[in-house]
Amino acid sequence: MNEAVVSVKMFRKRYGDTVAVKDISFDVHRGEIFALLGPNGAGKTSTLESLEGLRRPDGGSLTIDGLDPTRQRRRLRNTIGVQLQSSALPPSMTVDEAMRFFCSYHGVAARHDLVERLGLSEKRRTQYGQLSTGLQRRLALAVAVAHEPAVLFLDEPTAGLDVQSRAELHAIVKELRGSGTTVILATHDMAEAEKLADRAAILLKGEIAALGSPRQLTAAGSRKTRISVATENDSLHLGGEEFPDASFQGWSEGYAMYISSDPGRTVSAILACLESTEDPLVDLRVERPSLEERFLEITGGRK
Amino acid sequence: MKAFVHHLAYDFKTGIRDKSKLLMFYLFPMVFFALVGGFMTAVNPFFRETMLPAMLLFAFMSAALLTLPSIFLNARESGVFRSYKINGVSSASIISIPVIGAAVHMAVVSVVMSVAGVALFGGIAPTNIAGYAAAALLSYLAMAGFGVLIGVAAGNTNVSVLLGQLIYIPSIILGGLMVPVDLFPQAFKSVSLLMPAMHAMKVFKGLGNPQSAVIPWIPICVLAVSVVLNFSLAALLFQWDSRANQPSRKVYAAILSAVPFIASVLIG
Repeated sequence: MNEAVVSVKMFRKRYGDTVAVKDISFDVHRGEIFALLGPNGAGKTSTLESLEGLRRPDGGSLTIDGLDPTRQRRRLRNTIGVQLQSSALPPSMTVDEAMRFFCSYHGVAARHDLVERLGLSEKRRTQYGQLSTGLQRRLALAVAVAHEPAVLFLDEPTAGLDVQSRAELHAIVKELRGSGTTVILATHDMAEAEKLADRAAILLKGEIAALGSPRQLTAAGSRKTRISVATENDSLHLGGEEFPDASFQGWSEGYAMYISSDPGRTVSAILACLESTEDPLVDLRVERPSLEERFLEITGGRK
Repeated sequence: MKAFVHHLAYDFKTGIRDKSKLLMFYLFPMVFFALVGGFMTAVNPFFRETMLPAMLLFAFMSAALLTLPSIFLNARESGVFRSYKINGVSSASIISIPVIGAAVHMAVVSVVMSVAGVALFGGIAPTNIAGYAAAALLSYLAMAGFGVLIGVAAGNTNVSVLLGQLIYIPSIILGGLMVPVDLFPQAFKSVSLLMPAMHAMKVFKGLGNPQSAVIPWIPICVLAVSVVLNFSLAALLFQWDSRANQPSRKVYAAILSAVPFIASVLIG
């Protein structure tokens, strides 16, 4: 996973006097799922659309599998697959027709196996406009990967989907990664990014505010861990106990809540305290800050 | 080429599958043809001479001016063009395929109207079938050129409907479809030259029923220049993305499409 298949160097994008993206640089490696995160107007879409060849950069260089998206669009279209949130298929086009139509433009045979794999086989004759949002997204994904692109761009792939459809789509994206496809994912859904992405970049006002694996990103944050404890006799509350490196946050649904900067020491102290007071432990939860919390910390609450 | 054929086949099928296209390509002109054919030939026997070209032009205008613009506008605004661009569909294909697809539907309608017009309503059959077909093709392309240009240049459906009607309604009244131009007052004769339908009627008359050896070069040239100009302007103004977020200064170039018709008024 070391070979950089997407390279962004000092990329700049401007709209009139507004600089949407300010000289950002990052690489995406082959077979990696890379998430672009950021609040609205952070520059995610400009970056994605420039990589896809839909917009012309105002500075820096972009390469995808050695191709320049602006100058080598014709070759690029068989290298990338794109599922855009802001695109659609013709409403009267059936599932089968969409597969034949787009495969013919990529010069490959229609991939009816993908129609089946993505659970669309019973809807082959159904028009795009009559499919549910979830099935429309599946069809868009099937069309995007039909020519087996090296790099797949997904823009808010699960927006508006129910829980089951999201889980299925996540499984498909992981499967694609397993087969060597590089996936660049733009999403507002932090849980999705945390679950899927190998690495993520958080964009803020056109600049990269943080870059790394979801674990690295969260670890670089405030390092505060939430500890929730429920006991049979609520002795922690009644005794008003203090624990090292922890501050009591209050009670929530029967749990005593602490924020700790050293969760190992705090948990040991809590367990020792409960043993001494002979108050049986009902539940103990130790929660690291999520990517969403880290994101909100970086972006100052903007989403 | 295979992709182009797939695309064209799909587009042709939607002309039948899509209810609004089916209505505008077939039902609306056919019902109008049945009503006008029966009524006008009864009250005005001279209408038989112009009935076939008039009804064909009515069908062409319904397809080109009232239907084609919304095809382009809806596809662009809903993001279909973006999908096309990403997957390598060229702007030339996007512009030409709906025009060719609708042309096939119009060819079917033309044959039905021409045969039924003669058989049912006593319409005068063309003496030169090849000339009649050439006039029909040129007339359709001229109307389609306006339809495509409106679809590409208009920012929203309201504007496209307005612009389409701006050509469609005066063409019905002043285009010589219902009333022969010879009966118009002089001032209206000049105004009628601004209508593509008027030039199309002259081309039909000159090429389909050539009673003299004179070929109507001026209306042929006006329509031919209009076709080239309108499709060129459409290619120039074509946008992949919604016009809502685009600067619209270039759109005013579409006004150039009136130049051949203004020139024909000046020539007289």
